[in-house]
Amino acid sequence: MNALTKTFKYVYIGRITLRNQLAYVVDFLVRSLFLLLILYIFLQLWRTTYAGEGTATIAGYSFRQLMWYLVVTESMTLACPSLCTKLEEEVKSGDVAIKLVRPIHFIAFHYTEYMSEVAIRFTVNSVLGGMLGLAVLGPPEHAIGFLWLPVVAFAGFTLNFMLGMTIALSAFWVEETRGLEFVYNKFLFTVGGMLMPIELFPEALQHVVRWLPLQGVVYAPAKTAVAFDSVDVPSLLLMQAGWIVVFGLIAAAVYLRGVKKLNVNGG
Amino acid sequence: MAQVSIRVEELGKTFRVKRKREGFKAGLKGLLKPEYEEKAAVEEVSFTVRQGEKLAFLGPNGAGKSTTIKMLTGILHPSSGHAEVLGLNPWKERTKLSHRIGSVFGQKSQLWYHLPPSDTFELMSRIYELRRSDYRRRRDELIERFGIGPYLNTAVRKLSLGERMRCEIAVSLLHRPQVIFLDEPTIGLDVVVKQHIRELVNELNREEGTTLFLTSHDAGDVERLCDRAIVINGGRKMFDDRVEVMKLRYLTHKTVRMVLGEGPRPLRLQLAGVQEQQRDGVKLTLSIDTTVTSIETVLSRIMADQRLIDVTVEDPPMEEIITQMYSSSASSR
Repeated sequence: MNALTKTFKYVYIGRITLRNQLAYVVDFLVRSLFLLLILYIFLQLWRTTYAGEGTATIAGYSFRQLMWYLVVTESMTLACPSLCTKLEEEVKSGDVAIKLVRPIHFIAFHYTEYMSEVAIRFTVNSVLGGMLGLAVLGPPEHAIGFLWLPVVAFAGFTLNFMLGMTIALSAFWVEETRGLEFVYNKFLFTVGGMLMPIELFPEALQHVVRWLPLQGVVYAPAKTAVAFDSVDVPSLLLMQAGWIVVFGLIAAAVYLRGVKKLNVNGG
Repeated sequence: MAQVSIRVEELGKTFRVKRKREGFKAGLKGLLKPEYEEKAAVEEVSFTVRQGEKLAFLGPNGAGKSTTIKMLTGILHPSSGHAEVLGLNPWKERTKLSHRIGSVFGQKSQLWYHLPPSDTFELMSRIYELRRSDYRRRRDELIERFGIGPYLNTAVRKLSLGERMRCEIAVSLLHRPQVIFLDEPTIGLDVVVKQHIRELVNELNREEGTTLFLTSHDAGDVERLCDRAIVINGGRKMFDDRVEVMKLRYLTHKTVRMVLGEGPRPLRLQLAGVQEQQRDGVKLTLSIDTTVTSIETVLSRIMADQRLIDVTVEDPPMEEIITQMYSSSASSR
C-alpha cells in the first residue's frame, strides 16, 4: 500500500508536469519546424549518396528505411530537454532547495518531469516528422517495427535521462556543466548513431560502439522501427535495461555524494 | 515546560570558495592552478526553540541566516556541530523530517507557474501522501482562512505577489507541519498584505501551536509576529532574548512629538543628547538619547518656558535597533 502511494505520487507529478508543459505546445511546434528543415537537408544528402553509390541499399538500409531512421532519431533527439541547463539553473538560483525540502526522491522527481516533457515533445515531433515522411517517402517498409517503437523509445529516453543526469549532477560541484553536455550530445550525434546507423561505420568503430551505452538511446529504437526483421527486440531491451541499471546506480551514487557537497545559492 | 522543537549545538558551516583574481593572466593561472579559501558562513551557533515558540532569526545579508535554515531543513550538511528538529537529524533524516516541517522561501516559488494554485494543492497532497478525506478538509480550511477561494483556479502567472504569497503559505501548511520555516515571507509585499499575512501566521501559531522560525529584514514582522529574537552576524550569535528585551537594550533613543501652545519661538534647550528633528509651526519633533538625558528633564525644561498641548513618545522602528546592533558589534570588534 505504502509503495503504491509512493508510486502514485510520481504518476501525479508526471500528470501535472504534462499539464504544465501543454502551455509550451506552440513553442514545441515552432521548434519542430527545425526538424522539418533538418530532415529536408538529410533527404537531399542521402538521395545524392544513394544515386552516387548506384545501389538500392547501403549497409542493408534502403533509402526509404534510412530516411525513416532519421525521422525517428531526429524526433527523439529534439524531444530531449537539457538536464544540465535545468539542474545548473536550479543550483545557481537556489531553487534546488524547494525540491530538497519535500518528501520526494530528487532523481525520481526529475525523471518524471523529464519523461512528461519528452512525451509531449516526441508526440509533436513524431506527428510532424511522420507527416513529412508519409508525404515524401511513403509508408515505412516494416510497419510492425513502429508498433514496438514506443517501448524501445521509452527505454531509450530513460537511458538518455540516466546518462544526462549523471553529467548534470556535476552541477552540485561545479558552476558550469553545459560544456560536458555539449560533448555528450556530440558523441550521441556521431557514435550514438543519430546521424546514421551504426552499420554504416567502419568495422573497427562498430566493434567499439557496440560496447558503449549510447547505442541504446536513439540507434536501438530507430533500428527497431525501420529494420524490425533484422533486430532481436528482447536482446535490445535487455541491453538498454542493463545500461539503465548501471547508469541509474552511478547517478544515484553521484547524487548521494553531491548532495553533501551542495552549496545552495541565494538568501 | 514546553517540549523542545529545535536544538542546535555548535553548528557550523564552512564553504570552500574559489579565489578569483583580477586580470587575464591571473584568470588563466586560476584555471590551471585554482586556489581555494575557506569561508565560514555559520560558526558554532547554539540555541533551542520550544514547541509553539515564535522565533525571529535576524541578521544582515550574508550573516548566515539562510544557511542555518537550510541546515535545519536538511538541505545543507553542516561542517561541524549537531542539530535536531523534532527529534530528528535534519540532514540524515531529511525525508522523514520533511513530512513534519513546512517552509516558505519568500524569493522562491513552489507554485506551478502556468497552472492554478489548486493544482499545486493537489500535487502537494500526493507528495505528502495525505489521505483524501484529510486533504479535502484541510484544503477547505486553509482556503477559507487565507481567503484564497476567488483565485484558486486562476493561473499563478496571473496572480499578484500578495495573492501568490498567501497561496504559497497556505500550500506549505497543507500537511499540518509542526515547525514552519519562513524565510523572508513578506519580501516585496505592500503594507496591507504584510499585515494580513502576519495576522494569519499568528492565528496559525495560536490555534495549532505551530513553532515559527522566521528570518526577515522587516522590523514589522519581528515586532508583530515574534516573541523571541536571535541575532547573528558574521556567522556568530550576538543576541538571544525576548524581542522586548532587544528593544529595551538597544532602545537608547526615543522620538518625542509635541504640540506647543504658542507659535514659532526659538527653543533654548541646550541639553546633551537632545536633537530637534523637525519644527513645523506649533509642532515639534525631538530625538532624545535617554541614556544621557531623561524625557522628564526635557519636558520640564520645555514646560517651564512654553505651554504643552499634546505629547507622544515613540520607539524607533526595528530597522534602527538592528542597525544599531550591527554597528555596535562592528565597533566592538
